[in-house]
Amino acid sequence: MYQNKHSIFLIILLGFIIHKYYCKEQTYEHKPNKPLRFHVAEFNFDHVSDVYAITLWILLGSLAKIGFHLSHRLTEKFPESCLLIILGLIVGGLLYVTHLTEQKAYVLNSDTFFLFLLPPIILEAGYFMPNRPFFDNLGTILLLAIVNTLFNTICIGLTLWGFQFTPLYGGTEFEMLPCLVFAALISAVDPVAVLATFSEIHVNDMLYIVVFGESLLNDAVSVVLYRMFASFANIGQPNIIVMDIVLGCLSFFVVALGGVLIGIIFGVIGCFTTKFTEHTPVLEPLIVLVYAYLAYLTSEMVSVSGILAITFCGMVMKQYVSFNISKKSDATTEYVLKMLSSIMETIIFMFMGLSTVSDSHSWNTGFVFMTVLLCLVFRVIGIAIFANIANCWRLLELTRIDMLIMSYGGLRGAIAFALALVLDEAKIARKKEFVTATIAVVFFTVFIQGITIGPLVKLLNVRRKQIEEPTMSAKLTNRMMDHVMTCLEEISGSGGSNSLRDRVRNLDRNYFKRWLLREPPDRKDIKLLQTFKKINTLTAMRVHDTARGLVPSASTATVQQGMPEHHHLRSHSAYGNVSELIAANLPENTVPDLMSYENHEGEHHHNDAEMHHFLDTNLYSARPRAAIHLRNQDETGSSDDGTHARFEKSYHHRDQRYLPTRLERELPHGPKTISKTVHNANRPIGLKNSSPKHTRSPPTTHQQLNPRSRSRSIAAHQNSPIPSGQRTKSISKDSRISPLASTHIENEGTGRTAVERSRPWRHLSVTEETGASSSKTANIPLANGNDPNLHHIPLTVADFGGTYTKSPEYMGEYATTTKPEEPSSRPDVRDIFNKQSDDVSEQQDDGSTESITRL
Amino acid sequence: MGTNNSTLLPHDQAHLISAETGFSPKQLQRLYTRFQGLDKRKPPSGYLTREDLLEIREVALNPLGQRLVDVMIQDHGNANRIDFRQFAAILARFRRGKPTNELNAKEKKLLFLFSMYDRNHDSEIDRNELLDILKLMVGGNIHDEQLGTIADHTIEELDADGDLTITFEEFCKTLENIDVDEKMSMKFLN
Repeated sequence: MYQNKHSIFLIILLGFIIHKYYCKEQTYEHKPNKPLRFHVAEFNFDHVSDVYAITLWILLGSLAKIGFHLSHRLTEKFPESCLLIILGLIVGGLLYVTHLTEQKAYVLNSDTFFLFLLPPIILEAGYFMPNRPFFDNLGTILLLAIVNTLFNTICIGLTLWGFQFTPLYGGTEFEMLPCLVFAALISAVDPVAVLATFSEIHVNDMLYIVVFGESLLNDAVSVVLYRMFASFANIGQPNIIVMDIVLGCLSFFVVALGGVLIGIIFGVIGCFTTKFTEHTPVLEPLIVLVYAYLAYLTSEMVSVSGILAITFCGMVMKQYVSFNISKKSDATTEYVLKMLSSIMETIIFMFMGLSTVSDSHSWNTGFVFMTVLLCLVFRVIGIAIFANIANCWRLLELTRIDMLIMSYGGLRGAIAFALALVLDEAKIARKKEFVTATIAVVFFTVFIQGITIGPLVKLLNVRRKQIEEPTMSAKLTNRMMDHVMTCLEEISGSGGSNSLRDRVRNLDRNYFKRWLLREPPDRKDIKLLQTFKKINTLTAMRVHDTARGLVPSASTATVQQGMPEHHHLRSHSAYGNVSELIAANLPENTVPDLMSYENHEGEHHHNDAEMHHFLDTNLYSARPRAAIHLRNQDETGSSDDGTHARFEKSYHHRDQRYLPTRLERELPHGPKTISKTVHNANRPIGLKNSSPKHTRSPPTTHQQLNPRSRSRSIAAHQNSPIPSGQRTKSISKDSRISPLASTHIENEGTGRTAVERSRPWRHLSVTEETGASSSKTANIPLANGNDPNLHHIPLTVADFGGTYTKSPEYMGEYATTTKPEEPSSRPDVRDIFNKQSDDVSEQQDDGSTESITRL
Repeated sequence: MGTNNSTLLPHDQAHLISAETGFSPKQLQRLYTRFQGLDKRKPPSGYLTREDLLEIREVALNPLGQRLVDVMIQDHGNANRIDFRQFAAILARFRRGKPTNELNAKEKKLLFLFSMYDRNHDSEIDRNELLDILKLMVGGNIHDEQLGTIADHTIEELDADGDLTITFEEFCKTLENIDVDEKMSMKFLN
């Protein structure tokens, strides 16, 4: 063994030596006198150098980020952006010493920045923009973004210029227009820095959106001012006529509105495109990205505000695209956006540190000092003035503390830096000073303000963001408040923001949704239902998470083993059991849905993807059953909310492959009773006996359709050994005094999916079961029937048990259902069943699978 | 009240209501004009009925419009009509600004909201009441039993004592995190 190691080592060493030799040969020592030979290995760095460098950057950035987050102490004290800048400084120092800085791949150039690094960050911001707070505060945001930025630019520019008459700058002269150009770039709050910092301090939504919204929207102003002053500087101060200034002001509207318009147009086209991607779901995330990027590039091309364009493009798309595209694509889009923006942000900060180490600096203490000071002072003054003005119409007034945080959160960042780098030194003589001052300001804001803002927020007791889960009641009441206020505004005759919002919402529902969605919603309030689904998902995830670490195989074993085991499990920790079952149910290699990746809330995101995926398949499927029980055929086809309807469609699609719809309609009741009786009989034997019988019935319903029945059958398993005394106990549990665990399970495990439709089913089952058997078991559904609000235990734990005894085929089936859009990829269910029923050795499996087909 | 003068609110009335509601006289005058605009009867009768309020198109279209009008007329008016003083008192709850008097305190707003649910005045929201609201708000062709599930879920969320109804205290508790003051305030023009 030891020798083996030794020899391997030797071989590697040899290889290395050969490699090195040839490398040298190839790249560095082109000695003409040596005859050319074939090379075993070649070293060709030049071929890949640029891309290689970029990739290494990305890798370094990611590793750095990973590394920082390994140490909690570090990230608690310092914002990530600071750490990244420091890392950039260190690397920059190394490169500087080794004179690699001359190579262009290692420094930030503004083209790279504006064309590649910036757009993903802004797109992400736009896509995840909390619409409601944004539009609620739009007035304030606009005021700050436009007027405040203008005010800051003018004041800073003129004051900086004014100070050149004092000895403060050590005799260096600054002209007025260059000063204004510099002020234009330095006074704009930077969205990247704000995002990076504010995402870590968790202030309340309102505060966040005001600062962040300002930083996004002031782009138009700063672009215009920057360009205007820069071109004025080109024209030369004496040659400027009034017309230029007027045109400059005019160009503001062009730049701002043009950007917004381009963004919206591309967003709408993007949504429209996704209307037709039903058969190519893989492309959906790409559509979103490409259209957004195109919006950005187009607006840069026609020199309007690209940031506004991509922001609005993202906002528009988010509204409609997520209804159109499949859940997976939606998740992927979100994840890709988060990933891209996160890495770009990392790179930007690293590059900033890196680019700082260079020769093109000219330190002018007075100027740098004044710049930093003026930025701070005018920020505070500007906010004080304009926030107070905004308070005149705001419902929720900005308090002093809010204003303080707003001014303190006015961070400058990479955009300013990149703009400073593109200044034309021929026209603006003091470029070096400007670059240095910009870096100083950026570092000051990112380091000093960035580090202290967290403690400051704590100290001042700023209202924090409530990381709350969506609750149905809150959503409902929220929505209700909206309606009430809209109504009251109408009644009182003072058309306010609520009425306006209502009108926009109506417009949206009546026109935009109709044109842009695959299936326009015909319900009034999709959001409510969405919330409900989301809650379902979340709670189920939690159930699942509690199960982490439990070995699935153990529970599988228990199911397959004797009944006493079940009983034990159930009475012991029903909660854990369900989650175990769920956990076991998930094939490990299923591609997880990368859903609900939320910032800084890492608790339940490890396995949530899988859980989500699991639920997804189950959530929708319950619906057709409800329809069946209602004996209402129309319902199955009715388009409910977008996603649902989509699923429904594919579901039908599949259906038609298996049997004519007429057949399906006739089926539901008959077989159900059968399985009911089986359950009531409560014997595994009953299950076995019934299975062949069931096989004959065509597989109308779908496996993933039916967690309830699956579990039902296992409920039967589990229940069987329990003496009647215990059964009554479980009944008594029903009546609401039930232990937390059981209710939990009901809601979280089964509830999400099956409970949704459980009630009518139970009602029905009452009548059926009373007829079918008079055994004590029948009491359970009865008890439930009497009290519709109750969820009962036997269904809970056991419910998921059924999924467990799934045959391999089932697993395969399950995996494919992840993509309901592709019916063809599903194995033919009928075949599976036939095969199974033939297989005597797998009787029990059959039993459960069978009962699945039942309902 | 105010029948004699079709445009101006009588001074003493204005004073009284202003003190009661915290509205400025100007705001009151504006509201009064609106009030009379809604009162289509000739000569103006000085009160509004359910039908008057539902004449407003937006209210009639609003999913909760009817319910709201019911609450206004039945809970806050008398004999199925509502006079200006009552009208102003209702709106005063939603007046923006610091709660100067009892009327626009947060609790009053919540109570109003609660009464939107609680139509049988038993100080509890039960499942049926919740279901009614859900039906109004979601409407469309969603199944009753699905709404039922949502209602059950909601009750379960709120219900602390397990009696399957939501009391006012339970109701307020869940709204702790919501900025009720901000959401349920509006600006009255001067």
